[in-house]
Amino acid sequence: MEDPYTAQHLLVEAEALRRDVEDAKLGSEAAAEAFRIRFLGQRSGSVTTLFKRIPELPPSARRQAGITLNSLRKRVQERLLAARSSLEARRTSPEQRIDLTLPGRRQREAGSVHPLTHVLRSITGIFERLGFSIEDGPEIEDDWHNFTALNFPPDHPARDMQDTLFLEASGDVMLRTHTSPVQIRSMLTGKPPFRIIAPGRVYRNETITYKSYCLFHQVEGLVVDEDITMADLKHALYMFAGAFFGSDVRLRFRPSYFPFTEPSAELDVWWDLSGGGRWMEILGSGMVHPNVLESVGIDPERYSGYAFGMGVERLAMLQYGIEDIRILYENDIRFLSQF
Amino acid sequence: MKISSHWLRDYIDHPLGSAELSHALTMCGLEVECELVQSAAVEGVRIGHILRVVHHPNAERLTLCQVDLGEGAPVQIVCGAPDVAAGLKVAVATAGTTLRPPGGPVRIRRSRIRGEVSTGMICAEDELGLTDDHSSILVLDPDAEPGEPFADYLCRAGASIQETILDIAITPNRPDATCHIGVARDISALCNVPLRKPGVKVPRAGGETAKRLKVSIECPEKCRRYAGMLVEGVTVGDSPLWLKQRLRAIGLRSANNVVDITNFVLHECGQPLHAFDFDKIADSTVIVREAFPGESLITLDGKTRALEPGTVLVCDGRRPVAIGGIMGGLNSEVTGSTTNVLIESAFFDPSSVRQSVRALGLGTDASYRFERGVDADGQAWAAARAAALMASLAGGTVVEGMADAHPNPIVAPTVTLRHARIARILGTSVAPAEVERILTALGFALTDTGSGSWQCRVPSYRPDVTKEIDLIEEVARINGLDSIPMPHATRLPGTVPESRPDDLLRAKVYGLLSGRGYREVYTNSLLSETDAVQFCLPALAAKGPVVKTANAVSRSMTTLRPSLLPGVLQVMSHNQNHGQEVLRFYEFGHVFHRVAEGAPYVPGFSEHAALIIAVSGPPGPPEWGAKTRQADIFDLKGDVETLLEALNVFGIRTEPSPESTPLMHNFAVIYSDDVEIGRIAALDEAVTAARDIRLPVFFAELNWSRLVRHAGVHTTRRYRPISRHPAVTRDISVVVDHTVSAGQMMDTIRATEQKLLQSVSVFDLYTGKEIGETKKSLAFSLRFGAQRTLRDVEVDTAIQVIIGALQTRHGAKLRGPATTHKVIP
Repeated sequence: MEDPYTAQHLLVEAEALRRDVEDAKLGSEAAAEAFRIRFLGQRSGSVTTLFKRIPELPPSARRQAGITLNSLRKRVQERLLAARSSLEARRTSPEQRIDLTLPGRRQREAGSVHPLTHVLRSITGIFERLGFSIEDGPEIEDDWHNFTALNFPPDHPARDMQDTLFLEASGDVMLRTHTSPVQIRSMLTGKPPFRIIAPGRVYRNETITYKSYCLFHQVEGLVVDEDITMADLKHALYMFAGAFFGSDVRLRFRPSYFPFTEPSAELDVWWDLSGGGRWMEILGSGMVHPNVLESVGIDPERYSGYAFGMGVERLAMLQYGIEDIRILYENDIRFLSQF
Repeated sequence: MKISSHWLRDYIDHPLGSAELSHALTMCGLEVECELVQSAAVEGVRIGHILRVVHHPNAERLTLCQVDLGEGAPVQIVCGAPDVAAGLKVAVATAGTTLRPPGGPVRIRRSRIRGEVSTGMICAEDELGLTDDHSSILVLDPDAEPGEPFADYLCRAGASIQETILDIAITPNRPDATCHIGVARDISALCNVPLRKPGVKVPRAGGETAKRLKVSIECPEKCRRYAGMLVEGVTVGDSPLWLKQRLRAIGLRSANNVVDITNFVLHECGQPLHAFDFDKIADSTVIVREAFPGESLITLDGKTRALEPGTVLVCDGRRPVAIGGIMGGLNSEVTGSTTNVLIESAFFDPSSVRQSVRALGLGTDASYRFERGVDADGQAWAAARAAALMASLAGGTVVEGMADAHPNPIVAPTVTLRHARIARILGTSVAPAEVERILTALGFALTDTGSGSWQCRVPSYRPDVTKEIDLIEEVARINGLDSIPMPHATRLPGTVPESRPDDLLRAKVYGLLSGRGYREVYTNSLLSETDAVQFCLPALAAKGPVVKTANAVSRSMTTLRPSLLPGVLQVMSHNQNHGQEVLRFYEFGHVFHRVAEGAPYVPGFSEHAALIIAVSGPPGPPEWGAKTRQADIFDLKGDVETLLEALNVFGIRTEPSPESTPLMHNFAVIYSDDVEIGRIAALDEAVTAARDIRLPVFFAELNWSRLVRHAGVHTTRRYRPISRHPAVTRDISVVVDHTVSAGQMMDTIRATEQKLLQSVSVFDLYTGKEIGETKKSLAFSLRFGAQRTLRDVEVDTAIQVIIGALQTRHGAKLRGPATTHKVIP
C-alpha cells in the first residue's frame, strides 16, 4: 500500500516543478504553447495535477499547499506573458509598437460652465418641470416698476431694505434692486393666468465684502390665477426645496414682510454645521398684495396669486460650501475648473 | 432691536422657556436673530453693614472696614474705594466667591493686604456683573438685612440675576413691536394670556401745566401732536439699580435718572420722549416749526448740525432747542443742576423724520420709531408714565395737567374682514371664534355684522393696518403658517409652457463652448468711467454714450459696461498672473448705453444681452506628439462659425470693416443675412500691454438679443433626400493678387455654379517668392453632385466656367490642372 500523500511530498514536487518552469526555453510560439500545456493543461498539466491532490492532504496543510501552488501558477503565467510580448515585438515594426499608457491627446482641455449658471439652471429647471415659463426684463428700471407699482410707499423705510443705485441725470431711473419688476412687466403685457419665473441680475449699492457684492442674481416667481392660496405657495416652495436640497431637507416657513406681498413669509432651511447647525434663510415669498394686482389692472377679488424670490449666490454658496462671495466674480481658472 | 426677557415679565406672565420664546416670536413674524444670556455674579455675595472705617496704617489710599455680615462678630475688609463710610449697606463678596469684572474672573480669598487681614471684598456694580459702572461701590437700601444673600436682595429690588436678551429683526411694517409692551402683546395673542400694561393716571389737557407752558405747532402736517408735562423739584442723580440694569440689557448706557426714565419709557411703550431743563426754555414757550435756510443747532452729542430748510425744529421763545423726532439740543439739556423738567411727547410725521435723518446722516432710537410711525394716540400715556417715574425715582412733583397741541388728530380706520376671504387667501379655514380671539388680543375692536364679516377698528399703534389683507396677515401669523396644509396635488396649467428660444440657444452655447475649451465667467457690470469710455465705441456693440450711476460706493464702479470686453480682459490678466497659459473665456451679460430714443424699456437707456468669446495663448496645454502654437483669429473665427451653425443662424457673412479704432485692428462685422449680429477682432497690443497681458487677444462679441431673434430655433426642419449617386470633388489652385479676398472668390464660385456645386472650401493658402511678392495662392476644394450620376464632361464644364469667372472678376491664374476625387456614397 502506498504511503499517504503528505504536505512534504507536495512541496518537494512543487519545488522541482519551479526549477523546470525557470529552465524552459520559450523561443517560439510553439514552444510557448507546449510550455502552457505542460504545466497548466486542463487534464494533465503538472501544476494542475498537483492542485488536484490538495484534497488528499490533512486539512491543516491544505492552506499552505494552496499558497505555494498558486504562486507557482502565477510564475508560469508571467513567463508566458513575457514570452508572448517579446515574440509579438519581433513580429511588428517599431511604428506599430505603441505604449497605451501614454496620455491621450485632447487638443484642448474641457472648458467649464460657471457655478452660478449651474445653480441658476437647476432652479429654473425645477420650476419648468412644475409648469412655469421663463421671462426676463431690463436691469435698468424706473421707480414705478421697481418700487411704486410693487406697493413701496414713497419715503417708506421699506425702501431702505434695498440700497438703490440711481443713474445719473435721471430723477427716478435706477438699477433694479430685485427681479420683482419683471412681475409688473409680465402682468402688464398679458392676462391671467400667470405662472412665470424670471432669473436675472440685480444691484445693491453696497461695499464689496466677503458676504456682499454690489450685484447678485435672483430668481423671481409669480403665479396668478383664480383660487390661488397660500397653501399653493407653501406647496410649490416645499416641492422646490425638496428637489433642490434633497427630499430629507428640514424647512421652516416663517412670517415676514415685503411691501408687494401679504401675507409674506420666508423659507428657511436647516443647515448642519460642525457642532450644531442653524436656520438659513433661502427665499422670500407671499401672496401678491391686492395693491400690486390693482396697479396692473387685475381685479384682486377675482384673482389671487403668490410670488417668491431667491438669491442664486446664496444658494450656490450653500451648495458648494463657498464662504467668500467675491470668488464667484474673480473667475480664477483653478476655481472655475472645479465646476 | 434688543428685548430683555426679564423686562417682558413686567407685562405678561407667559409659560415659555427662553428657547420656546425665541421660536414662538420667530414664527409669528418677530424673527429672533440671536440670543444672549447675561448673568450676575451673586453666588457667595452677601449683604454687609459697614460699622467702622479707619485708615489703613500702611497705605494712604486704603481703608480698613469693620463689616457686619450677620454672623455675630464683624469681619475686617480692606477697601480701596474712596466713598466707603460707616453705616452703609453694601454687597460683600465673601472668601471663595468668584467675581466677573470686565477684565476677567477673579476669585476672592482671605488674605493680607499691606499687612492687614482682609476677609472678602466690597463690590462695585461691574464686579457683580450688574452694570458696566465701576465709578463707586454699590450702596444698597438702608433697610437691607446684613447677612442676607445678595441674590434675594436683587429679586426684591426687581433686578435680574440671569436673563436672556433677544435681538429681534423688526420688519418695517411693525412699528408697534419696537418696544417691550408691543412684543408682549404678540406673546399675549400667541399664548392666550392677558397683557398687563402699567397703570398710569393720564392727565387731561389743560390745567396748571397749560398755564405755565405755551405750546404751538406751526407745521401741523409734520408734527401732528405735541404734548408737554412738567415735573418740578427733581434731584438729578443716579438711577436705581433695576433701571440701570434694564437699560444695560438692551445696550444703553445710564446717564442720570431723568434721562434714563425717558429712555426706559421709549423702550417700554415705543413713544420717544425728550426731557428739557425747563428753566432753559425761554419764555416757557414751545414752538414747533420748520427750519429757516441757514439755521443750525448743536445737538446733545456736541456736534453742530446744519439744518436743511423744512427740517422740523422744536424751539423755545428765542431759539431752536431740539431737532424734532431726532435729537435734543445741548442748550436745553438736563444736567446735574436741573430741578424742573419739561417732558416732550410728540408725534412727528414719519416721512418728514425720514428725510431729515437722511439729510443729517443721523439716526437715533427716537427717529427709528418716528420713521416707522409711533402710536398716534400714545403721547399722553407715555408723558404721564415718565412724569410718574420721575416723581418716584427723582423726587419731583408732577405739575397738574398737560400742555397739549393736537391740531391734526389721526382717526383710526375701521376695516371690514370677511370670514370667507381668510380661507380664500390662506387655503385653510380659521374658526370665527379664533379670529375674534386673535384680533382682540392684538387690540382690534371687532363688531360682528351678522353676515359673515366683522367691522374691525384698528388700534392707534397699528398704522400699517389699512386693508382687509392686513387683518388676514395678522390672523395668519398668530395662527401660524405651520397650520397651512400642504395639498397632496396641485392643479396643472392648461397648456405646456413654451421654452423660450433664448434658453434653448443658451443651453447649446454652454455645451458647445465648454466642449471647445472655453470657460464661462461672470464679471462686474460696473466699471470705472475710464474703462467704460475706452470700450464704448461704435465699433463695439454700444451706439451711444456710457450710462453713469449717481451714487456709486466706489470710483472703480461708477459706470455700466458698454461691452463685455473689459471684464474678460481683467479675467485674462488675473489668470495669466496666476500662471495660466490657456486663456479661453466666454460670458453672457447685459451691456448698456444712452440713447436719444427707441429704448424698449426705460426712455433714454438701451441695454441688450451680449455674448463675448475671447482667446489668448495656446488653444490647449502642451501635449506629446502635437506642435505647440498660439491661437490666432482664425481659431476663434472657426469656433464662432461652428457655434452660429449649431444655433441655426443662417446666412453668416463676415465683412472686414473699413472703420479704424485705437482699440483693435483686423476687425470684422458678422452678419446674419443683412443683420449685424456681432464683431470679431484682434485687440491692439497697446491695450493688452496696458493690462499686462503678454500674448495677443482675439475676441468676438455678439449681440445675443438680436441673434436670438434671427436664429432659426422654431423653424421646422424638413428632410432633404440624400443622393444615392457618387459625388465628385475637384481641387483647383489659383494665384491672385494679395488684396483679393477669399470670401469674395467663394461668393463668385457659388454664384457661378448653383446647380451642381454642393460645397466649396479652402484647403490651402500659400505665399512665396516663386509666385510673386504681391501674390497669394489659394486652393479650393469643390464638391459636385446631383440626384443622378454626373458625367465627367458636366463637371469639366462647370470647372471651366468657375475658373473663367475667377479670372475675369478677380484676375486669378490657374496654378495647375484640377485634380479629381470620386466620392462613393
